Formats: sequence, structure tokens, C-alpha cells
Amino acid sequence: MSIIRYEQTQGKSLGFYALIAGLGAFILAALGSVYFMEHSGHHVTGMSNRIVWGLPHVFALFLIVAASGALNIASIASVFNKKIYKPLSRLSGLVALALLAGGLMVLVLDLGRPDRLIVAMTEYNFESIFAWNIILYNGFFLIVGVYLWMMFERRMNKYSRKVGIAAFTWRLILTTGTGSIFGFLVARQAYDAVIMAPMFVVMSFAFGLAFFVLVLMASYKWTERALGDAIVNRLSNLLGVFVAAVLYFVAVYHLGNLYLAENSGVENFILMDGGIYTQLFWYGQIILGGLLPLALLYSPATKGNRSMLGLASVLVILGGLAQLYVIIIGGQAYPMELFPGKEILEGYGTIAAYTPTLPELMLGLGGIAVALIAITYLVKFLPFLPESLADHVADPHHKN
Amino acid sequence: MKELNRREFIKNSTAVTASVATVASGISLTTFAAGPKETDPVTNEKRWGMLIDTNKLTEVDIEDMVSACQEEHGWGEETHSTGDQKPGWIKKVKVKDTATQRISNLALMCQHCEEPPCVDVCPTNASMKREDGIVLVDKHRCIGCRYCMMACPYDARSFVHEDLSNQKEHMPRGKGTVESCTLCVHKVDKGEQPACVEALNSDAVVFGDLLDPTSNIHQTLKRVQSTQIRADLNLNTGVRYSGI
Amino acid sequence: MSRLLVVFLSVMLGSAIAHSDYHIPNLGEKATEFKDEGKEAHKREGMSHAASLILQRKMHPELLLHKRDKTLRQGVRGGYAQLKECVECHTSVDKNGEHVPINAPDQFCATCHEKVGTSLDCFSCHRTTPAEEL
Repeated sequence: MSIIRYEQTQGKSLGFYALIAGLGAFILAALGSVYFMEHSGHHVTGMSNRIVWGLPHVFALFLIVAASGALNIASIASVFNKKIYKPLSRLSGLVALALLAGGLMVLVLDLGRPDRLIVAMTEYNFESIFAWNIILYNGFFLIVGVYLWMMFERRMNKYSRKVGIAAFTWRLILTTGTGSIFGFLVARQAYDAVIMAPMFVVMSFAFGLAFFVLVLMASYKWTERALGDAIVNRLSNLLGVFVAAVLYFVAVYHLGNLYLAENSGVENFILMDGGIYTQLFWYGQIILGGLLPLALLYSPATKGNRSMLGLASVLVILGGLAQLYVIIIGGQAYPMELFPGKEILEGYGTIAAYTPTLPELMLGLGGIAVALIAITYLVKFLPFLPESLADHVADPHHKN
Repeated sequence: MKELNRREFIKNSTAVTASVATVASGISLTTFAAGPKETDPVTNEKRWGMLIDTNKLTEVDIEDMVSACQEEHGWGEETHSTGDQKPGWIKKVKVKDTATQRISNLALMCQHCEEPPCVDVCPTNASMKREDGIVLVDKHRCIGCRYCMMACPYDARSFVHEDLSNQKEHMPRGKGTVESCTLCVHKVDKGEQPACVEALNSDAVVFGDLLDPTSNIHQTLKRVQSTQIRADLNLNTGVRYSGI
Repeated sequence: MSRLLVVFLSVMLGSAIAHSDYHIPNLGEKATEFKDEGKEAHKREGMSHAASLILQRKMHPELLLHKRDKTLRQGVRGGYAQLKECVECHTSVDKNGEHVPINAPDQFCATCHEKVGTSLDCFSCHRTTPAEEL
């Protein structure tokens, strides 16, 4: 196997500065939105006492879930010993950290009292899944940081497999924890299901890989480095498998819920007559985010076409956002079953209304911008990217 | 020489820290020349609860309870919050049995569970249950994450969506934190009844110590059939209902 | 070397100014009356009045913090160090006879807190004026 040489990107072109400026504008808009929301109070958002988590949480959870998924490439290389993914490990770790940072920023800045973040770091309630998640996120930063160090420092290379296994285990626990934020909410019919945790793990595989593919293809195109089909086609196949797995879990989740009479109300709501949520579910999550990417990735007409792979990845991300919107907001909009066997005429029980506002959207997009700007800068300062991923470098045994 | 200096410095600063700590711990022992005495902490020998008899409760009664609560705690005058953003510590709920068409009205608020889901999920221990069973939000620690509102099966909690001023002295409330029925803990600690119970002044709502065999609520619960809302969740609520 | 000297001199000058700038904050209406009557506020047993005042000034956050957790979480009522008592004595009254919020600029709490640049979080929830007479 030929030696992989890593090299920083130049980061001096007009395009680089344009990218930084564009992302910076999004970040500024997000900070402005935060100032507006925190200064006036959450009444300026669409969130309420019924929809307590809104669009910011859709973005935040998407980014956090995708973060752990983005680490998969490195895990496949070090844990499962697939050598072809090895050159991508550093970038995989970087994308994971950047996405998590973006997601946590959104989550924290939407708090009612973000100024009290220190309380969240010092006062732990170990029965709270949220508190576990705080530990898991901090641990993820640490462990992936160490992992990157092991990969960068030649004399530490020999430990990278062990740390890689630890990081892989940690990320599985992390996504399980994120899924459990919802899975353990016994009171809400839409959430109370153990399958939420593994479903979030599989979602992370798909969203994280989609994000990774886009970052990889964009950075190689913009830096004019060679990126061979051997790697791209494998990533494309992998993405297809993950997208199919998400569809499978979604099907099991809804079929399981339909089987329980007590949950038929909320299932009807999401699948049949939930208005925007039903539309987002079928058109957004299933068709745009699932079936269409599968068709693009596997149909002979589009298979192997990079633009189509890029399009599929974008669709997977949009579908993922739609999926989280349906889970988080749709799940809250449908009222809880307070009095089984009774109909609530007054006081509670209506479908809660939610109209996201611009500041919420800007905060969410700001999280993505933070992740992207971190990646853009760090590949300039540290050698994350192999100078070439042409077929003969990445996979000497590759045959066309 | 330098090494010695540093060591000396550490020694000295330790001594200073120790003496400060001694002074500080001494302070809590130093008493005041004059001043009211503190009460003892509450214990789990008591468990406060409420029994709401929907057969005796009219719709006007419930509206009186709601306005008494608003009056006591100062919520409901928010100017910017709209629709579901407005706080609702206690609300009137009207239900119809789908089989028998029987209609009942009830007041719904924090049920003061023995096993409160809001306390389980709170990352900072801001959601808490006092020893005597009253579930509260410690707003000093609340970071406004709203996970407790996601977990509450009774839709009992509200988030303050705007700046407030002129709060009641006994009921601090502020933007960005979560709040809910306190069972009028400030009154209960003085030996009084919650404002909604006082406002009604009838036997439709009984308040008292569930564990005390001589209390009215204990004896009534023994005598009449009563239910907990979402009893299937096994939360053992402090607020019980009869007639639904 | 000369640069060091400049730093040293500016630090000296700064601390001298900071020192001379010290003044007693607006004590508030009732506290001022109390003082003028010659009564000894915050007096602790076994401590001179001056020492008690210094202790109060230095340690009011700790005292309040300690009491706040006991009151809210354990139901300990009464006793010393209640925020409403602070507000009761240390608020001023304006020309119209209305109480001025204690955290407003130039009022009792804000004077020092602004000077030392520490946040004053109590009044994001607590009432800033004494309760209205009933």
C-alpha cells in the first residue's frame, strides 16, 4: 500500500474567503437572533408551553446525531480494519467534532437562561438523561480529540486502533443517549418507545455520512485534488445501505405503534391527517429523504454520477431535518392522552399550533455554519486531507 | 531561593485559606443579637395532598380557583405572550366520557407526584420535590431547557416567555425559567391552605396531610372512591379526584 | 525595562484612584433612618458592629445563597438573611413617594455591583421593591 501524504489546504483563494465570509454572515445572523430571542424572551419565537422544543432543537439534534455518524468512517477504518477508509479517518474525526460543536451551540443558545450554562456543568442530576448527555458530549470532544492526536502523531499511531474502538463505543452510547431523551418520555404517546434509541443510531449513520460525503467532495473539488471513484463509490453504496436501514426502522417504529390501540391516535395524526406533519412525513422524510436518494444511488442511470451522489446526500440531510421536525414538533403537537376513554372538550386536548419564526431558523442555520466554518479553517491549519485520493493511491488493488 | 519562596507562598496561602474557612464556618455559628428564629426543615412525616370532588365542583367554582391562583401568584397578566405561551398554573378542563356522554369539570394543575417525571429528567436538579411531597422549581438553578415540560404528563408547567416585573414578594418569577403550581408552599408553611382551596371554602376541595390518619383528607379518601389522573403511570400523585 | 515601569506606575495610579473613589452607597430609606437613630444593623454576637458590617458587606452572597437553598429546598422559613428584608430596608423612595427598584442604577445593590462588575441575578425573578402595603 502506498503511503498517504496529508497536506493542509492553501486557503488563500478568493473562493476560500468568500466561503468564510458567507458562513460568517450566517453566524452573525444567528448571534443576532439569539440576542433578540434572549433579550425579548421566547415570546418572539413560535415556541410555547405546548411546543416547548421547536425549530432550534430540530437543527441541534440533527447536528448532534449527524456528528456521531460522521465518525463512522474513521471507525470503519480502525475498528473494522477496512484500509480503504483509513485516509479519510482524520477528516471523519474533524467533521464529527465540528458538527457536535454546531449542534451544542444551537442547543445552548436556545436555553431560557444560557447565562447559567455553568450551572449545567456543575449541578448534575444523574437520573436525568439530559445530564448524561452533557457528560457524553463533553466526553465525545475529549475522546475524538485524543483519537485525532493518535492519528496525527506518528509515534502514537499504534494506539489509534484502541482509541478508535473506545471512540466508536462512546459514539454508540452517545446516540443511544440522544435517542433516549425522547424514548423515556413515558407521558407522550409519540415518544414512549425503546426503539427510539436504535433508530437514532441508524439515523446518525445516514445523516453523518451524507454530511461527510458533501464535505469530502466539496473540499477535493475546490482544492483541485484527485478523488478517485474507488472511495466515492464505496461511500455511495454505504449511504444507500444506511438510508434503507433508516426506512426500515421508521417502518418498524410506526407499525409497532399502530399495533397498540392507545397510540393509534398519534399514529393517525402523523401518517394520515396531521396536515403539515403528515406532508413532511410522506413527502419530506420518506420520499425526498428516503426513496429518492435510494433511486439516485442505485438506479443504473444515475449510479456513479458524483452530482447525483451530492444531490442524494443533500436530500438525505433535508429528509433528516424533516424527520426530526416530525418527531420533535409533530410529537408535541399531538396532545397527551390525559383521560383515556374520555374526550376533552375544554382546557386541553387540541392540536398545538406552531409557526417557526425567522430567528429560530437563523439560529439553526447558524449551527450548520459554525460546523462548516470550523471544518474550513481547520483543514487549512492542520493536515486533515490526503493530498490525493486517486484510485491508485487509495486502493492499489482497485480495478476499473 | 526561588523554590523556597514558592513553597513559602503556598504554605502562607494555605494558612490564609484555612483561617478564612474557620472564620466562615464560625459565622454560621455566630448568632444575631436579635432576629426571628428559623423553622426546622420539613420532613417526610407529612405528605401534602388535595382531593377534588368533581361532583360538587361547579364551573364557576373552578374559575374562582383559577383566579385565586392568579391573584396569589401574579400570573396571567403577561402582555407579550400569546396563545399557548401564556402561563397556566391551574386550568379548567371539561371532559366527556365517550361511552356514557357524562360530562365532568375539573381543575388541573401540578399533581405533586411522589415519583415526579419532571424531577427525574431535570439535568440541574432545579426540578425538585420537598420532603413533604411538594414539587417545586428551584429557579436559581433552572437553565430553561424545558425538558421537565416535555416529561410532565399533566401539561402542568409553564415557561416564562417574557420579562416580568412587580412580582409578588413570596413568588419570584422570571423570564427564561419554568414555573408551576407550588401548592402555595408559602402559605402551607405558615399553616394556611392553598389559595384555590381558601377561595372555594367548601368540601368540594379538601387539602391536608395524606399521611395523618386524623386529617379530613385522609379520612375522606378512605371513605369515597377516588382516582389519580394517569394512574397507569404509577406516579402516586398528591392531587386526587373523585367523580371522574 | 521602561515598559515595565509604565505598567507598574499605571497599576499604582489605578489602585490609588480606585481607593479614593470609594464612597458609601445609597443605603436606602429605612436603613438610613436606622443608622441615623444610632441603631446597630447587622450586629452579630461576639463581634463589634464595625466588624459585623464588614462581614455583611463581604459575605452577603454566601449568607443569601446558604439561606436560599435551605428555604426553597428544605422549607426552612424565618431567620436572618431574607432577600425581602434586604429590599425592605435598602430601597429608596423617589419624589413621588414611589419605591425605586433596588437594582436600578445608583441604588443600593447596583452601586457596588456595577463598580466591581459582578452580575446581579437575584432580581431577574425577585421583586425589586417592598411589597405593597395591604
